[in-house]
Amino acid sequence: MSSKARELANLGNAYSDGALSNRNLIINGAMQVAQRGTSVTGLEVGQGRTCDRIGTYVNTGTWTVTQETDAPDGFGNSFKVLATAVESFGTTGQVQIFYTIEGRDLQGVAKGTPSAKEMVFSFYCKANKTGTHAIAFRDQDNSRVCTKYFTVNSTDTWEYKTIVLPADTTGAFDNDNNGSLQIEMWMNGGSNFKTGTPTGAWEVFDNAIRLGDGHTATIGDSVNDYFQITGVQLEVGDTATPFEHRSYGQELALCQRYYQFVGGQANSFPLWQSYYASGNYAVWPMPFKTEMRASPTSTIVGTWQTTRIGTLALLYVNNQGFGIGGPASSTGLIEVYPNSNDDLLTFSAEL
Amino acid sequence: MYQHLPDFKGQPAQCIKRIADNAFIPMDPANTDYQEYLEWLAEGNEPLPADTE
Repeated sequence: MSSKARELANLGNAYSDGALSNRNLIINGAMQVAQRGTSVTGLEVGQGRTCDRIGTYVNTGTWTVTQETDAPDGFGNSFKVLATAVESFGTTGQVQIFYTIEGRDLQGVAKGTPSAKEMVFSFYCKANKTGTHAIAFRDQDNSRVCTKYFTVNSTDTWEYKTIVLPADTTGAFDNDNNGSLQIEMWMNGGSNFKTGTPTGAWEVFDNAIRLGDGHTATIGDSVNDYFQITGVQLEVGDTATPFEHRSYGQELALCQRYYQFVGGQANSFPLWQSYYASGNYAVWPMPFKTEMRASPTSTIVGTWQTTRIGTLALLYVNNQGFGIGGPASSTGLIEVYPNSNDDLLTFSAEL
Repeated sequence: MYQHLPDFKGQPAQCIKRIADNAFIPMDPANTDYQEYLEWLAEGNEPLPADTE
């Protein structure tokens, strides 16, 4: 069968599985959107985020996490983790790229029912070392896991990978706004995560099979070890289809359900301006650009320029918007505006 | 480490402050930062009292 005929046949399969458009369950799979910035350096313990929705968790060594313009043909960006200092992974060391999907977005999988469907995970990757990597697909609602493997065959070369996940008739994904499926792509890990032998099917979660005994990759054992990904797609069905490109505007709006910010522009006009009497409390309500997944964690970053107002405060926040303001220090026009690129209000409802 | 926030106009604050990054965490069970705070509380920790104005 010609490659074009094969692609059409695969799309026919996708149609049978329920979706020709919006079939990619991964938001920002092409790594285009990076609202938080394009680089995190000196990451030692915790999460590092540049490209929206894509997380990195490390607790061993020191890492730089970046959005890159290096990508395979047909893509403009990728996500990279780079080791800048190393230490032993011991028993509990971790370096993984992860992505968490809301339960509401997974109902089409019909997991936990007699009609449960397979899923296909596909992506492009590139690394400085060959080796076999574990990916643990974690059902967070039912404490189950399906651990699969892929192999980097050539160094410093973009490779395309596909992984088929079996249908699981046990344990439905909750139909809510919490995380239900977490995809953990492992670069390296401690021995406690490698003592088991995954079956390749969905099974009861156990730390011993998060990497399992099939994982051989050692990204992070040496300085300058790196791993990059882009073109990440998860779709219902048994056949990987070509990556579904969405517009930048579509991806940004989808990302803003999980993170968004206000400000970030120097010398801009006031974002909020009103006339208040001295002592009165100025409160400006502001709807979010996109309704957020949950009430977000918020921060006021930088030194905002204010006129006739004491301490600027976020007075209330929910998943639809926020109120910002403070007490008027004298009667007159009260203004609030960012005066540098670093002045931000950030809102995170990330998973 | 966390800190309570002062009442706003006579109403109890609906957020807890995370001191490390001055983040305001809403008391929403679906917020992952609030979930971490609850785990921290369950370990027997106590937030600092609110600043007095």
